[in-house]
This record gives sequence, C-alpha cells and structure tokens, in this order.
Amino acid sequence: MREDKTYWVALFDSVSHVIKAEKILKEANIPYKIVPVPKSISSDCGVCVRFLPEQKETIVEALRSHVHVSEMHELLRQADSNGPTP
Amino acid sequence: MSELVDAKGLACPEPVILTKKALDAHDEVTVLVDNTTALENVKRLASVSGCAVDVTEGSGGIFRIDIKKGQGSKSACDASPEWTHPLGAPHALPGPTILVIASGVMGHGNDELGALLMKAFIHTAVDLEHRPDMMIFYNTGVKLAAHTSGVVDDLKALEEKGVRILVCGTCVNFFDLAGKIGAGTVSNMYEIAGALSTAGRIVKP
Repeated sequence: MREDKTYWVALFDSVSHVIKAEKILKEANIPYKIVPVPKSISSDCGVCVRFLPEQKETIVEALRSHVHVSEMHELLRQADSNGPTP
Repeated sequence: MSELVDAKGLACPEPVILTKKALDAHDEVTVLVDNTTALENVKRLASVSGCAVDVTEGSGGIFRIDIKKGQGSKSACDASPEWTHPLGAPHALPGPTILVIASGVMGHGNDELGALLMKAFIHTAVDLEHRPDMMIFYNTGVKLAAHTSGVVDDLKALEEKGVRILVCGTCVNFFDLAGKIGAGTVSNMYEIAGALSTAGRIVKP
C-alpha cells in the first residue's frame, strides 16, 4: 500500500502537446498515466497526464523546454477510484 | 463408463472442440492433453458448463482431465455460461454486454490520437455505472493487456470489479507477447466466438 493520498495531473494546451509529453516521459521511463481531464477541473473533452507526487520534479524537468505545461493540479485520490499507479 | 478424448498433440482449439462434442453425448468424459494451454482451456470449458473437473498430472507432461456433469448442469453440458446483471444494466437483448477492443486505437484517422483516446477510454471504463460483463481483446488490441501498455492497472481494476477479460491467444503469439500479458485470461477463438455469439450487446470503441 502506498501512503500517498494525492496524485497530480498536468494539463496541456492541446492534444498534440499531450502526445508529445507522453513520448518524452515514455522515452525517459518516467511512470505516468494518460487519463481524461478530471471533471472537477474542466468539462472539456480532454486528456491529461497523471502522476504520483514524487514524480513531479522529474516530470517538470523532463518536459521543460520541450513542451509547455499549461496547468498542474493536485487531486485527492478517491477511495474507490482505480489504483495508485502513476 | 467415461468417454475418452485423446487430445494429445492437438493444437488449440481442437482439444476444446473435441471435449465439447464428447460432453454433448456423454455424462462423463476423460480428456488427455499434453500442454498447459489445452489443460486450462478444457478446464475452463468444463467449469463454465457447470461440470465437476478433476485433473491428474501423469508422466511425460500428460494431463488427465476427468469431467463429470454436475447435478445442477443441464442435460447436455451447456457451453454457454449463464449471465447475471448485478448492476441492472440496460440490455437490448438478454445476454452479457461485451466490450470488444479490436485494436490498440480508438477510431480511425490518426493513430497517435487513437492510442491516446483508447487509454483514456479504458481508464474511464473502470468507473462506468454500467460496466461491461466481459471485455475481449484481439488483433493489436492485445497490446493493451501487456505489462507495459499503461492501462494494465485499469484492466486489473476491471477484473477486480468482476469484468471478465479475454485476450486472444493467437494475437498474443503473433505479437510475441507470450509471458508479457499483465491482465486477463489468454483465450482461444472457440471461447471468444462463443462469448460473442451469446452477447446481448457488443460495444466497440
């Protein structure tokens, strides 16, 4: 069991930026997960990158100067939501 | 007397087909197979049909599977599992709702976008009010069930919630993913076609 009670999401200006960010994170072997933008943040039909708090600095660093992150949010993990993975 | 089916040396799905035929005509069937894939597939056929199964491992990698129709099973051991809808999902026809993932991408046009959409879709499926009863992955769809796909945790969560996940074994073999599948049951065309033919709804993203 992980102790973390939250995870973070990074939002981007466009879907192509999400795809670009995913490529970078995948190549750098940084754990992440593609999820729909949580309804609490936006009603747009968008996707974003979710990750664990301990990955935040690594991810910010990896994406810096490659792709612009428009927003970052820390979210409470729902007890019934699926899984603690990134 | 138990009817003997010698399925040694036969490739999938022959052992399952022969077992099914034997069960249609006999109350007790003994099947001999020489590999674990055939063993698992025959065992699954028997258990979803409500039969009692007993496996004995013999010498030289041979398995003896004794199958006996249970008192509760139908006159002919029925290969179609009985489905219940605990969530009370709306069904156009009786039968399970099956989510068919026939490719690694959602929609046609741009595959980079499609791959992204499929990941978001599978993640979302975990918390759907009306979850499917079963998900079937085939062709490039099986790549989503591999350890490294990024959605294996979602698939495991779906399984924990009672969704049955079948992964096409031929496709797993084709993409060289044997041993790399992280969720679901590696299955065969017999079971996949059987499930599709009993579906009440088929949903294909």
